[in-house]
Order: sequence, then structure tokens, then C-alpha cells
Amino acid sequence: MKLRRVAITGMGCVSPFGRGVVALTEGIEAGRSAVRFMEGWNQYIGLRSLLAAPAELKDEKLIPRQNRRSMGRMSIFAVQAAMDALADSGLDAAATTSGRMGCVVGSTTGSAISISQAFETMLPDRDLTKLSSMMFFHCLSHTATMNVAQSLKLNGCVMATSAACASALQAMGTGYDIIRLGRQDFMLCGGAEELHPTVTGSFDVLFATSARYNDDPRKTPRPFDRDRDGLVCGEGSGILLLEDYEHAVKRNARIYAEVLGYHTCSSGDHVSESNRAAMVVCMREALNGAGLKPDQVDYINAHATATLQGDKEEAEAIREVFGDSVPVSSLKGYIGHTLGASAAIELAASLEGMRKDMLYPTLNLGQVSPECQGIRHVMNAPERRAARVVVKNSFAFGGISAVLVCRIP
Amino acid sequence: MTREDIVTLTNQVFEKSFEIEPKRLVPQAKIFEELGLDSLDIVDLIVALQKQFKVQIREDERVRTIRTLDDIYNFIWTLTQKTGDARDGG
Repeated sequence: MKLRRVAITGMGCVSPFGRGVVALTEGIEAGRSAVRFMEGWNQYIGLRSLLAAPAELKDEKLIPRQNRRSMGRMSIFAVQAAMDALADSGLDAAATTSGRMGCVVGSTTGSAISISQAFETMLPDRDLTKLSSMMFFHCLSHTATMNVAQSLKLNGCVMATSAACASALQAMGTGYDIIRLGRQDFMLCGGAEELHPTVTGSFDVLFATSARYNDDPRKTPRPFDRDRDGLVCGEGSGILLLEDYEHAVKRNARIYAEVLGYHTCSSGDHVSESNRAAMVVCMREALNGAGLKPDQVDYINAHATATLQGDKEEAEAIREVFGDSVPVSSLKGYIGHTLGASAAIELAASLEGMRKDMLYPTLNLGQVSPECQGIRHVMNAPERRAARVVVKNSFAFGGISAVLVCRIP
Repeated sequence: MTREDIVTLTNQVFEKSFEIEPKRLVPQAKIFEELGLDSLDIVDLIVALQKQFKVQIREDERVRTIRTLDDIYNFIWTLTQKTGDARDGG
């Protein structure tokens, strides 16, 4: 069976820099940080990190109430990003109900705010009678994809990839596979996440968050940096429209990139520790699938969240596969770690930068940590050069690695 | 609580929870056909009314007969008279 080629023909996002890929890249190009001190978070006893990169919830009432009632904050972000990706693609509206368009949208959990509200309403008396019927829909693990599908009336394949920080990458890879196999012609793929003290708290209890910069939010997170001390959570959604390549060419669509390869695998080892060997396997398999050698890659958009262990493992893995010849940067210094949304938001930014012959530098990378050396860091200023092939990494709890390889035309 | 209070407070629920403009909240308005509520909304309507008026209506059979806004006003009026004006604690 001949596998089909797959193009990215639409991009939408809601990020801590605002709605749209333009707003995202404007913030990055201005060297801004969206990280803020979060008022009221100190009410949570023991929460060390009081920082986050919030997105703005705006224009949500433009979504009809009948559709919006089942949406928590992150689903609204996802629906807005999906609508933007679809509009961006220029596809005819009839495509959504053709049975040939679906969506794969992942997230770490359902709406964290709604989950928290549900339990606060119900406890301590375990009283179910005060719960809204819609609360359940906000909290479902597949709430984002479900709401994207029902808002856009998609009647194709609808799936959710719940893999924490690798959710969006697995979503894009799954959409890629579905189109390659000919099961669908269009897939809206990506992820979403929302902020809540308990979300940061879940990393905080593992001492994985940045807690030393509460008085200087913009100095963190610091991927690969000697003075990094952990991650900062962000929120939002990134959705890319993947399309059968031949169909895209036939309708004269703007093609942002072709997806060339994808792989996901696990270390089979530890639920929270990063694993260099698994990352190496994943990057190599994704490149094999793309039919590319490491020296044919122009840019690596790293996962690098600024955790001590994660950045070290990823730098070592990149060094093993690529040496020091391929420019590498992480975008999390600008917008924090948007968790389930991160791969899609960061890939969208990378593709847009590459279109302008710009590789964005890692923000807050002042001095490369010794264990992160030996790879070619883009730091202090953008690297201005023609770049076509990008490797996008995501690594998640459970030792899960996911890598996507794309080439811009 | 007067009947006027009940009308005002009930209409508040419809405005806030279901985003219905005040001008559409007339007593004879049909909840399903004209105000656009569906079966999922009814669950939330009950929760909101229970909270607004501090009454229990979830298990009350009479809920099933409600068709118009006026039916709700009458139902809440009956309940509050029975409990001796629940909001003021009797």
C-alpha cells in the first residue's frame, strides 16, 4: 500500500502572547517573557513556584452558548485555535462535515479549573446535588478534542492523545499516520492546557518547578542554562491542520511544511526521569522514517523545559545524534511550558520563524550549563539563515519521547 | 419573599446562566421552544434555582410539568410559601 504524503496547511494558536501565530512570533522576536507572578497562588500551602505564563481568555462569547457550555478554559483555547487553523487553511467549510476531516487534540488532563471547582463544590460533604451537568464535560480527558469536533461539526476520526508534555506531538503524529494511511484527508491536530495552581503543584511536589525567581519572573525558565532551576507552566492551545499533500497542491493551498517523519517511544524505565537513550532512539527512528540523515537537519526545536535532569538528558541525546552542527533552541523561556499544547505551539512558531529565515534563540540562556554543552545553541540573538528541515522534540512523564520531522517548501 | 422577588431572581438565573436577554424573559415564554434550553440545561437550571432560592426541587415530580417561565414562577412561589419563605429562613 502506498502511503500518502502529508502537508501542514493551516495553523492556529492561543498562547501567552495572545491569539494567533503572528502574536506568538511577535512576542518571541521582541525577546519578551510572558512569565508573571501569579497573585493568590500563595494560598496553596507548600507551593514553591508562584510563577506562570497565562494566556488571555478573550472573545469566548463569540462561541454560541450551546457549544460553549461544555467547554472549560482549555477547550475554549482549543476551539479558537482550531477555528483559526481552519480559516487559515482556506478550506471550504463543507470539508468539515464531509466525513473526511477529524481531529486529534491532546492535553494532560481535562480542565484543571473545572476539576478543582467540581471537588470544591462536592466536598467535604460529598454532595453531588450542587454539581452542574456540564462540569463533567469540562473534566473529561478528551474534553478538548470533543469540543473542537462538536464546534466545527467534524464527523471524521476524533481522538485524544493524553501524554502530558508530549500530547500535542503525539496528536500531530497520529494525524499524520491517519492521513498517510488514507483514512482521512484532513486532520486538525495539536494540544491544549490551562493553568491552575494544582497543575504547577503537581510538578512542584517533585521539585521540578522554578522556585528561585519568584521575585524576578522574567528571568525564568532558563533552558540549558547554568542557573536554571526548573520549569514554569504556561497555557494555551496550538492546532495545525494536516492535509493530504496531493489535495493541498491541487487546490493551490499554502503549504507551511511537509511532515516527513514521526516516531514515539518510551524508555520503559521510570515514570518521571528523562532518559537519554530513549530520546536517541526516538530521534533516530523519526529521521529514518523521514529518509533523512542527521546532517540534513537545519534546526532542532528542543523540548528543554529548564529542569536540571531533562535538559541534560536532551542535550546529551542531541549531541549523540547530531553532534554540534545543528542549531538548537528551546522556546520555553518566552512562554513557559504549555504542557499538552507545547509541541504544536512551538512547532508553529518554529515554522513561522524558518519561513523568515530566522532560528529563534533560547531566551534566558546566558551561560550554557557544562552538562548541556557540546551542541550548537542558538542564544542571545536569532540565527539568520535559510533552514528547511526541522526536528521537533517532546519528552514527557512516563519516559515518553515523541519526535516530528518537517520540511518547509 | 414576594412574587415579584421570585420573578426577578428567576430571571437573573436565566440571564446569568443561560445568557438570555431580559426582553425575552416574559411569563408566557416557553422554556424549550422559545428560550432554547434543552435537557442538559434543565439539570443546570435546577441546580441554579436550588441555589438561588435555597429550596430542594430536584426530586420534585412537579418539575416535569414546567413548560413556561410562568410555570417556574408559580412552582417556586408554591415552594417558598410552603417553607415560609425559605430565603429569609422562615
